Order: sequence, then structure tokens, then C-alpha cells
Amino acid sequence: MNAIATSLRDRLGNEAEVVPPEQLDATWQSSLQAALAPGEPLPTLVLPQTEAGLAAAIALAHAQQWPMLLSGNGSKLSWGAPARGIQLLLSTQRLNQLLDHAVGDLTVTAAAGLKLADLQAILQPTGQFLPLDPAYPADATLGGIVATADAGSWRQRYGSPRDLLLGLSFVRADGAIAKAGGRVVKNVAGYDLMKLFTGSYGSLGAITQLTFRTYPLPAAATTALASGPPEAIAAARTALLQSALTPTRIDLLSVSLAQALTEQAQPGLLVRYQSSPASVAEQVQRLRQLTEPLGLSFHTYTAEAETEVWSRLQARVRGTQPAAGDGAIRCKIGLLPSAAIAFLNDLTTLASQPSVGQIHASSGVGYLSLPAETEAAVITKLRRTCEAQQGYLTLLEAPPALKQPLDPWGYTGNAIAVMRQLKHQFDPQNLLSPGRCVGGI
Amino acid sequence: MLLKDLLVGRRDRWQPIIREFERALGKASVIRRRDELLTYECDGLAAYRQRPALVVLPRTTEEVAAAVRLCDQHDLPWVARGAGTGLSGGALPVEDGVLIVTAKMKRILHVDCENQRLVVQPGVINNWVTQAVSDRGFYYAPDPSSQSVCSIGGNVAENSGGVHCLKYGVTTNHVLGLKVVTPDGTVVELGGAVPEQPGYDLPGLFVGSEGTLGIATEITLRILKTPEAICVLLADFPDIEAAGNAVMATIAAGIVPAGMEIMDNLSINAVEDIVATGCYPRDAGAILLVELDGIAIEVTENIAKVAAICRQNGSREITTATDAETRLKLWKGRKAAFAAAGHLSPDYFVQDGVVPRTQLARVLREIEALSERSGFRIANVFHAGDGNLHPLILYNGSVPGEFAQVEAVGGEILRLCVEAGGSISGEHGIGADKNCYMPQMFSATDLETMQYVRAAFNPKGLANPGKLFPTPRTCGEAANAQKSAQFKGVALF
Ligand SMILES: Cc1cc2nc3c(=O)[nH]c(=O)nc-3n(C[C@H](O)[C@H](O)[C@H](O)COP(=O)(O)OP(=O)(O)OC[C@H]3O[C@@H](n4cnc5c(N)ncnc54)[C@H](O)[C@@H]3O)c2cc1C
Repeated sequence: MNAIATSLRDRLGNEAEVVPPEQLDATWQSSLQAALAPGEPLPTLVLPQTEAGLAAAIALAHAQQWPMLLSGNGSKLSWGAPARGIQLLLSTQRLNQLLDHAVGDLTVTAAAGLKLADLQAILQPTGQFLPLDPAYPADATLGGIVATADAGSWRQRYGSPRDLLLGLSFVRADGAIAKAGGRVVKNVAGYDLMKLFTGSYGSLGAITQLTFRTYPLPAAATTALASGPPEAIAAARTALLQSALTPTRIDLLSVSLAQALTEQAQPGLLVRYQSSPASVAEQVQRLRQLTEPLGLSFHTYTAEAETEVWSRLQARVRGTQPAAGDGAIRCKIGLLPSAAIAFLNDLTTLASQPSVGQIHASSGVGYLSLPAETEAAVITKLRRTCEAQQGYLTLLEAPPALKQPLDPWGYTGNAIAVMRQLKHQFDPQNLLSPGRCVGGI
Repeated sequence: MLLKDLLVGRRDRWQPIIREFERALGKASVIRRRDELLTYECDGLAAYRQRPALVVLPRTTEEVAAAVRLCDQHDLPWVARGAGTGLSGGALPVEDGVLIVTAKMKRILHVDCENQRLVVQPGVINNWVTQAVSDRGFYYAPDPSSQSVCSIGGNVAENSGGVHCLKYGVTTNHVLGLKVVTPDGTVVELGGAVPEQPGYDLPGLFVGSEGTLGIATEITLRILKTPEAICVLLADFPDIEAAGNAVMATIAAGIVPAGMEIMDNLSINAVEDIVATGCYPRDAGAILLVELDGIAIEVTENIAKVAAICRQNGSREITTATDAETRLKLWKGRKAAFAAAGHLSPDYFVQDGVVPRTQLARVLREIEALSERSGFRIANVFHAGDGNLHPLILYNGSVPGEFAQVEAVGGEILRLCVEAGGSISGEHGIGADKNCYMPQMFSATDLETMQYVRAAFNPKGLANPGKLFPTPRTCGEAANAQKSAQFKGVALF
């Protein structure tokens, strides 16, 4: 066993399990291989049992200057820039307790390693849920979802993690435990570190506890898919957003993605309504009236068929196997929503097949899945298209051979210096997930 | 040194600096006459006053940057000011410092309904945004009661809320991007037209930072589609607790109203005295206003459910309105509540604290007990849906020492909020008013960590110094005693 593992065991006792590199199981090995730059040695894994154990591990690493990667279940370790020189991998997997579900207040506080799926199972009997639909829902931990700012189509109605997070605790780079925000839905005391940590990819501190706002589970749901020629889909998007209808999800689907759902080779508009049964029925009917004059075909899905459509979509765009199990290149994009249809068209002509894309119709945030062999030049072209529409393209999962030359992040703004300053303040020795975040932070 | 020499020395120091500001912004945008500076002595928290050395009124991002750079070069502390309606002393100037006022930055720069966003200068008044897009069927959701006078820049700095925040969120949920002049005079873009840009969520961090991280000079806002149906329900209750129970039961029924507001008997009568709405029964212990919006069928269903809930919880009389005119009439009293409190007593102090919704009844009982103990009448008007209390403490500022006592009562209320698991501010901010209470909510480590953020943006500490965080100078025991002594007997409003 290496010296690092030995000193961690001495220091942490039964506060944490310490796994030296040679004893890592296959799952951790593959997550790590996807996260580290090629040829990098595997680090020692630490699984603290308590927040104090995590703090003690980080304090020791801080004193010893061991660079660390922070993770939950490791399902998204491959996102971000490949890491180098990592000595420790810290996982919050065992910090998985529900701490408080204030049912009447619609808030829930949990340890960062609790899986979203497990939290939903706890909330469900009380008629509540946390409206987040991120990648790898079965594996994703709350901490990992926040650290990667990952969400899905529910953005339309409920926003993304930044909009749902009310408070957090974290271990700083020096091992001290700090918190911000609170457990109430409205609070402006102090800086909003919840926003700062959302999407920080483990570069500022190790999130240990989170408080979210929850929502009542709607009584009924129906999903409708309109498909047809791109111009008609664009017109339907505009008409829907100009209408007073209140869907919880609105997604624009590339031809290949719509095809995976309907067998029709035309782009699609996938809309979900969740409300009272009468409201859902009426809204679906009104959507039909909006889309049919445009010559679009119209399908509805309810009950299991509905669940099935969304999980197929999720699997196709975002994958089922963490760490690029199917070898696909996965990107997060953003662009002005008015340009979304044109972009999805370009995707069909530019990228080799089967490339699929999904764009949330109101925010312009979306996801792409491209075949493993897609060339860097194609991705650059797609990125330029997003940038021309005030957006971005970030490579989440891609082989290192692509991430190296391309810069996975694709940040084009002028605030890198501010971000560096923040990183420097929170982690002056650059020990927390060094190099993984935007601009080499 | 004699006082006279000190003053002369100060003037000599400022003369060349003023000329530099005049060169950068034009003479008309630099205010230095003592009588003109008076307007800027305080914000909505008029108990705290401080005359700045200089006020500047830039028109563009470049002019703001030039002003901030001059401050940086000469190590001058500075404070940003929007409309000056803040209630926590955030825009309180600093002695021997510069006040940068956005009153001349009032242009709506770009409207893009297709993408549901628009770009404004910071001095734009909150309800101008909705006015600019309402004919196309859109609106800007955050609606503080001060919306006809407060600026978007101030809203951003305070992360302001409004009566519709329960369903639609506060300012931070509606800001996509910001152009900001940081305290070294650099212009940076935080976020942009499209949300979730790669890297840290800088717009999220900046919103609510109370002018301590820089000045926002352009703000990209998200706008929403106007709902097809809106219904306001007014119900009266024998007491606040019953009204609170109706709120709880509504939420438990899975209904998310746009807003839920409660007023107690004292505020009902104050409002009826002044605006005579004729809708709020004077003998009611409390009234509850619920606004529901969305698809017509859903609003109809839910309003029936809420009405039933109110009846079950002891409501005598329920009025509903869907037409704009009657809805406004039902809201009118609530909107006038602060103004009405001004007529109940020579002065009032608005507190702003948050408790978990489930603790509302208990905390309100304790506030009532506090009112009896202290002898100050306290009127309660609050955002019940999100547990955001606004107790109005009525007092007479011309009685020596009363303000200090009122501050102590206000502090006691904050303690109750924190004990109940809540917060010392839901929307008015910490500013100069509550920085000494921050240690009640946050440990020394928490506060030290928040200072990392300030140090990253504002390393010299020139932007809005002394606000938001406790400082030994203002929060030491001795310093506290001195602060109240200094304001003793000063006419406050
Ligand atoms: C009658 C009344 C009712 C109110 N109701 C509500 C309510 O319902 N909800 C609510 O949330 N608030 C309410 N307020 C408080 C106040 O209106 C808000 O805090 C408002 O956002 C302040 O805006 P302002 O333009 O007046 O800002 P100011 O008071 O001028 O400044 C507030 C803070 O913002 C900073 N600032 C101003 N402009 C900028 C800028 N461009 N960049 C960076 N920092 C800046 C200042 O330095 C200061 O710290 C109310 C106030 C009054 C008087």
C-alpha cells in the first residue's frame, strides 16, 4: 500500500474507507480512466463515512499538498478537462443521509452523496418531488448534480439546480467546514455561494449538504410530439411560446432524435404538460389546434408510454452508461432559442450520423450526442454556430484526443480573470480538481 | 491639527480629484455643492445618514468605468446608488467617498420578445420593463412593492422579491447576464443572453451582492408570457393563525399560487383609514390575499379549492375577482400598507425576516408578546407563502432614545427568525443595517469564506465598504453604543 493510503488510514481510522489504487474496483477504474489525462497513475480513493471524516481527509491532503479530485458516484468524472497529478479521489458516496424533509415548507436537506433517485423515492409518498432530470438519474448524487449544474427538460418550468438550491455546506480546501444560504425559500443574507458552487466542478470545495426547494407532484401528465418540416416546427415553437399554455417541458428534437421516437424522418417538438387532469387535457387539445394547421403530425403519450418516451430520449441523447460507455461524444450547448431549429438542421447535414440533438425551446440550452469518430473540425464548426448565436458548446464526454486540442469548455467571455481570482481565494494552492474547470482552473 | 486646517486639507485634496472627474464625465455629471449633496445622504433607511464628498452621474458603461478607475487610482471608497429606495442602508454613502448614481442610465437597450429577453441600463425603473413588453403579451416577473420607483440595478444588487415570487422566483431567477464594472475599473461580461455559460455562475454570484462586487451597467433580463387568467381571492379570518393555517393547507393541497399575502388587524385598519378600500373588514383578525394565475381552467379549479380551504379554516367572507379593475382594488390596500403605517404613528421601522412557513404562527405569537413587552405597536404585513415577515414597528422618532429601542426590538425579531430556522433578510438586504446580525446566522468560518468572494472582486475594499459584513468598527459593543448616541434626537423622516 502506498504511503498516502497508509497515512490516510492512520489519520482517519474508521471515519473513512481508504482504497489504494491497486485495489480500486472496475467501476471506479473506468470512471477514473475517463477522467484522467492518458498515462496518469490512478489515485487513492477515500470514502468518508461522515462530513467530519471528509473534512479530516481534505485537511490532511491540504497539509501534504496532495491534489484531489472530488466526486459523488463518479458518473460524471469524465466531464471537464482531463486531470493530471491527482493523488486522491474523494467520494461523498457514503454521505447519503436524508437530513430533514420539511414537508409543509416544501424544502429538503440531504447529504451530498444521496442519490437523486433515492431522494425522489423518499419524497414521493408525501406528494412531492425535486424537479431535476439530469444525466444518469440512477447514479447521480445531489452533490454531483449541483457541482456539474446538470439538469434536463424540466428547466422549462422549474429551472436548473441554481434555481432550486437554497443552502449548502462544504469543506473548504483547507479542511474547514463552511455554509451559505439556509433552509428557507427566500433568503438574501450573505453572498449566494449556492450559485457559485453550482457548476464549479469540485474546484472550490467539497459539497457536503444541500437544501433544495421541492414541488408538489402534479396529478396528471401527458406528452405530445409534433413532427414535420423544420419551418413548420419553428412556427409551432413560436406559436406555443406566444400562447398562454404552461408546459413543464418543451424540447426541439433533431431529425435523428425524433426518428428514434417515432420512425418519422422529420424534426420534432416534444411538449409535456403536468397539472390537473382537466388542465392537461385542455392544454394538449390546444396544442393540437396550434400545430395541426401547420401540417404537423401529432402523437400523444400517457402513462407508461410517456415515461418510456422520455427515458428513450434521455438514453439516446445523454447516454445510459456513465464514462462514455457507448463511446459517444456528448456535448452541452447553448444558443439563442430562435436559432435552435436551424442549428439542429445543420447538425443533420454537418455531423456524421447518427448525431442527435435536443434543445430546450425557451432557454436555448441543449445536448448533443455525436458518434465517437466525429472529427474535431466538425465540432469546431458546431461550436462556432452556437457562438454566433451568443451561445457555447462544451464537450462533456469525449476521448482525450478530442478534448486536448479543442478545449472542452468553449468559454468565450472576458471574465476568466474574475474566475481565476475566485479560484485563487478558495483554493490558493490549487489542490481541488486542478485544471478540470474552465480556463485550466 | 486644528479642525479648520483639517477641513482645508480635505478640500485641497479633493480639488484636483474633482477636476479629473469633471474631465471624465463632464461638469454637469459631477455634483459637489453641499446643498445638492444632501439629496444623496440616505436611502430608504433614513435613520442612517452620511454626506458623500462627491456624487457622479455617469451615462454609459465607459463613464462608469472611468469613474471607478479614478476611485481606484486615488484609493477613494465609493458606493453605487440606483433610486435610493433600499431599506437596509446599502446605498448609504461613505464619508470622504464618491457616490456613483445610475439615475442617468435609463435606457432600454434591446428588446427581443422572440427569445424572451431584453437588455436594460441599471437606472431603468422596474415597472418600465413590463411596460415595454406588455403590448406583446410579456411581463417581467419580480415586482417589489416599490416597483414604480426602484431601479433594476438596485433590484439586482438586493436580489429583490415581490408578491409574485412564490411561483416565479426572485430577481436572481430572471437575470441572464450582466455587464459589470469591477472595482479596478475593468468591464466584464458575467453570463450573457443564454443561460448556464461554461464556468462559474457569475451572474448568480453578483445578484444579491449589494454593490460590494462592482456596478452593473447593462442587465439582460428574462421575460415571461402574461398568464391567460388571473384571479385574486380575498378571505378574512378571526386571527392570523387561522389565516396561516389556510396558507399551509393550500400548499399541502399541491397548489402553487403566484402569491399569498397576510395582513393583521392593525394593518387592515391602517389601510382602511387611509385608502378606504372598503374591501378589508375592519373587525377581521387577519385577511389573506391569494393570487392564482395560469390556464383559465386551472385557475377556476384552484380558486374553488382555495376558497374551500379558507372556509374550513374559519373564513367568514370570501371575495374573488378576475377582472383587472377589481383585482387591483383588492390589492390596493396591501400595496398601500407601508404608506398607511406612516399614518398610524410619526415613524415606523420595517423589519424583514424569514421563517419556515410552518413556523409562522408561533413566531407571530412571539412577536406579539414582544410588542406587549416593549410597548411598541407592531403591524404585520407579510409574504405568507414564503414565510417572509415584514413587521412594522411604530414609534416616535422625536422621543430621544426611541429609535435605539426600536432597533433593539427589530433585532429581537431577527433573533426569533434565526431561532425558528429562518433568515435575517428575505429581500431587503443586509447593507449597513444588519451586518452586525450576520454572526447570528453564520459562523466566523462562513463569513471568512464569503469574504473570499469580496476579496476576489474587490481586493482593495473600495466598493461599498463597511456593508454586508460585520466590521469591528461598527459592530463592536462600544461602537454600537456610539452609533445610537450619534442619531439620538435626530429627526428621522
Ligand atoms: C415603499 C417601499 C416598498 C418596498 N418593497 C419592496 C418589496 O416588496 N420587495 C423588495 O425586495 N424590496 C422592497 N423595497 C426595497 C427596495 O425598493 C429594493 O431593495 C430595491 O431593489 C432598491 O432599488 P434602488 O434602485 O432604490 O436601489 P438603491 O437603494 O439605490 O441601492 C440598493 C443597493 O444596490 C446597490 N446598487 C444600486 N445600483 C447598482 C448597480 N447598478 N450595480 C451594483 N449595485 C447597485 C447600492 O449600492 C445598494 O447597495 C421597498 C422599498 C420601499 C421604500
